[in-house]
Amino acid sequence: MSASFSGLLKPWTPRVFLVRWSRYNPYYLEPEVRKEAYSIPETELSAEEKEQRELKALRPIKAATSSITSSLFDDPDISKFINMMMKHGNKILAREIMTETLEDIKRKQVEKYHKAPTGKKENIECNPNTIFHRALENCKPVVGLASVKKGGRFYQVPIPLSDNRRRFLAMKWLITECRENKHRRTHMYEKLSQELLAASIDEGNVVKKKYELHKMAESNRAYAHYRWW
Amino acid sequence: MTTQRGALFQEKVSRLLSRQNGRPVIKPNKPLVLKDSVAYRKLKKKEATCITEISVMMACWKQNNFVDGRCSNEIKSFYTCIENAQADMKNAKAETRNHGVRLPPKQATTLLKRYPNLHYEI
Repeated sequence: MSASFSGLLKPWTPRVFLVRWSRYNPYYLEPEVRKEAYSIPETELSAEEKEQRELKALRPIKAATSSITSSLFDDPDISKFINMMMKHGNKILAREIMTETLEDIKRKQVEKYHKAPTGKKENIECNPNTIFHRALENCKPVVGLASVKKGGRFYQVPIPLSDNRRRFLAMKWLITECRENKHRRTHMYEKLSQELLAASIDEGNVVKKKYELHKMAESNRAYAHYRWW
Repeated sequence: MTTQRGALFQEKVSRLLSRQNGRPVIKPNKPLVLKDSVAYRKLKKKEATCITEISVMMACWKQNNFVDGRCSNEIKSFYTCIENAQADMKNAKAETRNHGVRLPPKQATTLLKRYPNLHYEI
């Protein structure tokens, strides 16, 4: 009886301590989590990479976030997608949806694989990660539109986008499409798997949205000179 | 030399303010004191980069009905052009930091703010 109460009498300390925060001194370097980066022999490193290694030996390094691992299954794109799907900090739910989506994709592809004739079996891709990456690539826009003011009027000018911006737009379109254009009884993972499979073959609403953006940019190509950067 | 220049400047100002040679040229409503900042020069507007690449890519799109698979070469050249343009911009920024003989206006302002004009006696 006294044993159970003594635990409650101790002062409360949290079991999990926050180590990684976002506002580090810029002097700190990012951690290298991937195992492949450390298995490269010395001779194959370029001069810049050798300099980087020496710098890392001297400078302090930030703590790694709890969402990245050095395992084979850690994928930065999928992690970013899970973070974008997350609502109110509920990472567990977002991760569950993602794993259910990948499982659903795998199930559908394996079913197709078993039903296909032997000649076409090799063409069917069963790995859900490759399908995700392929779908993401097909959804990324090449050029974007920016509102530029010239002579009192605003024109939609086609501009080149950075890689991060393109990836963000593709993911954002996928998530909004799956949240809004679905029957109220379908689960998020079902709709997501349908959209991803469609996007990997260049079909579906998200790819259509990308093409519409490209068409708008093409129709406004005369205003490309209004850019100054 | 700078003390000579300063003295000449003071003489010129007193000539402009005096009433001995007809009317004074300047009638200052505020005291003639220099500010602790320098006026900011507007950047020269640069041109848009990679326009030829964009137009080539868009012509390809129009021909192939916006299918990206057919235009992969043009798209790749567009991406390389963008990377080159960004690298050029970075190098150009590093070069303009030297700015020749003159200080750039932002750095001049920070320097002046560190040693401001005294407007009190203590």
